[in-house]
Amino acid sequence: MVIIVFFALAVICTGAVLGMIFSRNQATSALLLVLAFAALGGLFGLLGAPFLAVVQVIIYAGAIMVLFIFVIMMINMGQGIAPEKKKGIIVLACAMAIVLLIELVFAGRGSLPGAGVTGPGVTPTDLGRLLFTTYAYPFELTSVLILAALVGAIALVKKREP
Amino acid sequence: MSAYAALVPLLIIVGGAIFILLLEAFWKPASKTPLAALALLAAAGCGAACARLWSRGASAFGGMLRLDDLALAFTVIFLVAVAFTILIALKYLPRQNADFGEFYGLLLLALSGLMVMVSSPNLIVVLLGLEILSVSSYALAGLKRDDDRATEAAIKYFLMGSFASAFLIFGLALLYGAARSLEMPAVAASFAGPSGDSLLGLAGLVLVIIGFGFKIALVPFHMWTPDVYQGAPTPVTAFFAVGPKAAGFAVLFKLVAPVGDQAFRSAKIQVVLGIVAGLTMLVASLTALRQKNIKRLLAYSGIANAGYLLVAVLSGDGVGLMFFLAVYLFMSFGAFGALIAMSRAGEEFHDLDDFAGIGAKYPWLGALFAVFLISLAGFPPLGGFLAKYYIFAAAVHKGLTPLVLIGLLASLISAYYYLRIVVFMYMREPVRNIELDLDVPAVYLVLFLCLYGVLQLGLFPGRILVFLKQALASLVL
Repeated sequence: MVIIVFFALAVICTGAVLGMIFSRNQATSALLLVLAFAALGGLFGLLGAPFLAVVQVIIYAGAIMVLFIFVIMMINMGQGIAPEKKKGIIVLACAMAIVLLIELVFAGRGSLPGAGVTGPGVTPTDLGRLLFTTYAYPFELTSVLILAALVGAIALVKKREP
Repeated sequence: MSAYAALVPLLIIVGGAIFILLLEAFWKPASKTPLAALALLAAAGCGAACARLWSRGASAFGGMLRLDDLALAFTVIFLVAVAFTILIALKYLPRQNADFGEFYGLLLLALSGLMVMVSSPNLIVVLLGLEILSVSSYALAGLKRDDDRATEAAIKYFLMGSFASAFLIFGLALLYGAARSLEMPAVAASFAGPSGDSLLGLAGLVLVIIGFGFKIALVPFHMWTPDVYQGAPTPVTAFFAVGPKAAGFAVLFKLVAPVGDQAFRSAKIQVVLGIVAGLTMLVASLTALRQKNIKRLLAYSGIANAGYLLVAVLSGDGVGLMFFLAVYLFMSFGAFGALIAMSRAGEEFHDLDDFAGIGAKYPWLGALFAVFLISLAGFPPLGGFLAKYYIFAAAVHKGLTPLVLIGLLASLISAYYYLRIVVFMYMREPVRNIELDLDVPAVYLVLFLCLYGVLQLGLFPGRILVFLKQALASLVL
């Protein structure tokens, strides 16, 4: 059963990423990326990391992608990359792909220091308990940070009172 | 009892900020003076709360918030800086068409960030304090919204600041990997242990230092400073020059001083920091020579002063560091206060040529500005001389003679560009007719308080030194 779900999610994820790369419309690309993130969230859930799964969906698929889509719609870049730049980008992409491949090989063999070490499973309950006991102070400070960001953004763009 | 007592100063400031923002949103006062008065009141209340805690200390949240005497002393420096900022901004903001009530709210939020930074041994909390400070600062820098330079300053500060934060967070992650804790004593202890000299920890520490280097404008990372200082509203610039710098050095001192004490460590980190300090003092002083805009000149002077402060960090001289910061608070606000006075509705005069003949035309303003410049240049009997003397003496004692020589050279160069302004004020004929609107009692109050501070610290530093020594005794290394 699990293996079926895994392959379904993996196919959706890879397919969505491929579609994102080959799509000509940026908005479509962004939406396909949302799909890929959601499938990735499912994969995390399968690996026994429910909190990571939820965060992946809420933060990446929710918040960050909405920001992407806003930017795409506001800036509306007409044409893609200039053809003379394309060559360099392809070379760079190949180099990055090779680096990633090497990393994956190393990770697969478990020869990276610290790789393969797994701690006890962390449930959302544990995290919540930590946030409200040991880390209560930083947690509350985050709210001050968000308040400062909100006020700052509004102060910079709000309409002037006549 | 003590858990809440430790929170009181911070709660007063954040509560005051929220109250001011609510008033601005719902009451919409036409004149923002009541909001400024409220902000001053909050700062005063916080000062009283700090005074009550002095030499008793308090902590909360399992030690994540620890108000020892060192944190309280730094908090007092921040409170004075914010009070001065509010006073010099009172008339400046309406004149420059930037009279937003949010200014006072954001300023108090920035203050709360500063207080958080110096009152925790935990680096996550320090990072959050720094972010609260930075986010408020980005908005404060761009408050003159009709001004292109202000917008440029805000965007530049935002981009550079975010970049620096990324370095800092990455460094913290590596440090956590090396030390398995983000408590500063534990981080320092991990360097002292048998396996302490790990590449991981070293890389983390360097990244953290780079992150802070951006925020306090050390030389390879100082490019944003002149533009931001020039574009931001002048009271905000005065705040930037003192507040974030003091907090950044407080954290850097707590982080690096114990690490630097280990004999094996001093070789690597000391050398890197020593080179940065030397570069900071020299490059800033040399670049300042060519500045025609006084605000930019003061920005470079601030960078050079960061170099002197780094020398104090390197020699582990906490008293010298704090004394310099206290003196710098008065010198810097004095100089920026004089710059604020050089304005009238909708216009500011910050070119060197504008200062020609000011000394004869406006004797009080000219004399006060000259005193602060001479103190910045480091002439006795003013505070600036003693501050540099203590730092250099401690550094020679620790065997950092090459750095002290560079520092003396930089001081010599700086004397030239500070005194050039004095020469312009008193010995040049005015290039164009400048009419100042000097109906600014609050600015004069700040100028005279700063004059008092510079003289008191220069002539009778004994009491404040006792005070600072007591504060540093509370630092657990």
